[in-house]
Amino acid sequence: MKRSTVLTEKNRIRWATVFSFLIILPLGLSVVGFVLSRGQETEVFLEAPDPKWEACYRDAEYMRYHHMDLLKDVREEVVRFGIRGGLTLAGCGDCHTNRDQFCDRCHEAASVRLDCYGCHYYPERVAERELERINPTLQGPGQEPTEIDPAVQDPEQEPARIDPALQAPQEGR
Amino acid sequence: MESAELTAAAGSVSFEQVEPRSARASPNGRRPVVVEPDLRFIRDLSRSGGDSLKKCMQCGTCSAACPLSPDTNPFPRKEMAWALWGMKDRLMEDPDVWLCHHCNDCSTSCPRGTRPGDVLGGIRQQCILHYAFPRFLARWVSRPAFIPLLLAIPAVLLGLAMWYREPLGEALGVSGPGMDLIVYSFMPSLPHWLINSFFGFFALLAFIAAVIGLVRFTRGIKRSHVWGEDPKPVKGILPSMGSVFLKIFAHDKFTTCETDHSRSISHFFVFFGFIALLVVTLWIITGPYNPLIRSEFVYPFSFWSPWKLLANIGGLALLVGLLLMIWERLYFGHLAGTSSYFDWALVWTLFLVVATGFAAEILHLLRMVPHRQVAYFVHLVFVFALLIYLPYSKLAHMLYRTTAMVLAERYGREPGSHLKGLWTGHEVPEASKGPEGPATVAAVTGLAAAPMAVASMDETGSPPQAGNGGST
Repeated sequence: MKRSTVLTEKNRIRWATVFSFLIILPLGLSVVGFVLSRGQETEVFLEAPDPKWEACYRDAEYMRYHHMDLLKDVREEVVRFGIRGGLTLAGCGDCHTNRDQFCDRCHEAASVRLDCYGCHYYPERVAERELERINPTLQGPGQEPTEIDPAVQDPEQEPARIDPALQAPQEGR
Repeated sequence: MESAELTAAAGSVSFEQVEPRSARASPNGRRPVVVEPDLRFIRDLSRSGGDSLKKCMQCGTCSAACPLSPDTNPFPRKEMAWALWGMKDRLMEDPDVWLCHHCNDCSTSCPRGTRPGDVLGGIRQQCILHYAFPRFLARWVSRPAFIPLLLAIPAVLLGLAMWYREPLGEALGVSGPGMDLIVYSFMPSLPHWLINSFFGFFALLAFIAAVIGLVRFTRGIKRSHVWGEDPKPVKGILPSMGSVFLKIFAHDKFTTCETDHSRSISHFFVFFGFIALLVVTLWIITGPYNPLIRSEFVYPFSFWSPWKLLANIGGLALLVGLLLMIWERLYFGHLAGTSSYFDWALVWTLFLVVATGFAAEILHLLRMVPHRQVAYFVHLVFVFALLIYLPYSKLAHMLYRTTAMVLAERYGREPGSHLKGLWTGHEVPEASKGPEGPATVAAVTGLAAAPMAVASMDETGSPPQAGNGGST
């Protein structure tokens, strides 16, 4: 075999340095990120539970780790055996009003593709408006706080505000 | 040996200079030398790469050709003599066996077609078997007949752990995932805590076994006479560790090889790929307790996360290095050395770890749900075979060789200057022409100052062998 010139006595330290640098790079980035984010709040992925609503289908810990299994089981029941009337995705949206916060942030961070909404409709806006109707001071989680529209506080304005929202076509995703 | 002594004496050495050494009861004064040939050892060695052993005629060309061999008590000529005589104890206590990096410069220069490099590889295998604790596991790992058993053990244990994960979790005080930070497991049936505690437990056992083996090994090689009569450390233990780790990182010893130089490249890739994957693994398993992680979400990473990129690049580096190794061993066996089952076992285990790892990742990206989990399970079985059998497989070289190199650094057992600029055709670096040049060393050892390849003759007359020869 011909003696290779890729790794020789002369350039061995250079190569070792390059490889070592590549290995500690993610660690360095993590440390830099940690230092830059010092003093800031821990980033919260999931929206905070809303005490106004009743408990979820199962406890939060179970839902956190097994929601995918649960949804697949429900799909199996409905599609294969025709058992309806249980859990629905639309039902999730009743409480978890913001899809960005509730589904997408985790799924994007983990590179897990979410294809529920290829077919299903997530009625987030409706639920959001519904919440707003019940308590106008409550803002959707993760939203920039906006000034409360005095019109909302006026009970007479309510129906006019909700109905178009309910009928409005969902913004395409 | 009679003639060898005479040949040595025919140099500039007078008989009086040699005589007191040969007359000693033992080179290190511990016990009288009675050569009891360990025939079984010779037979085992012949099977594990040392089949050319009997051709050796003790000319010493190998020691002269070796770029790593020190000036005093050089190798591999003396190891060949001990192996021929079946002196297992000597070889097990010999640090030089582990200073050899198997580049086969000796094997290609042997005038009789002996392959000292391969013999030393075989001795290293016997050494791992000798110091392993418990020894029966090392015997299993070194025999192909035990492959099914060795793979069945992790498969059954992991299967049991998955099956009984709920009682196990209760016993360990884990109720559900139970962590502040979110860590999704690759498989719901193998939660993060289960993998951590399963591999943590067996890694602890392997670690204890490795420490026992290393303590035995260190005691053994400290008894060796190659350090000289009254060895004095030239370096502290920490500085020698530091410089050895730098040498390992830069592959100093490998890059001095002539014959199988490409070994340095494949080892370089495998080495750094392995370290990259180790770093990522440590980051993930310590993730839930890591203060550097500021979000609630730890794992899995997105594809473009720096950690995921590092893992994929490390895996690719490992794969490239392994394919190079396999290619060298298959098609350049005369240069890369005879590959025994022990050698192939490590290469293929590593390869299967990488292959099943990438298979699990690709099947995951393809969303093939039962398939990716099967691939992951097989991956974990091979990871177990790689990491938990580490003290018994060829991978134990990372323990034994590092220890031997640290001791060699501490006691100043440097590669000799006998070859610089002669055999390899390279320029002599000025630094190596210091006061410890060939002439000085030869004067110290009382041998002829012959800087050329005929240095082999000097070495033949080196004290311990002469002593043995006399008493045999």
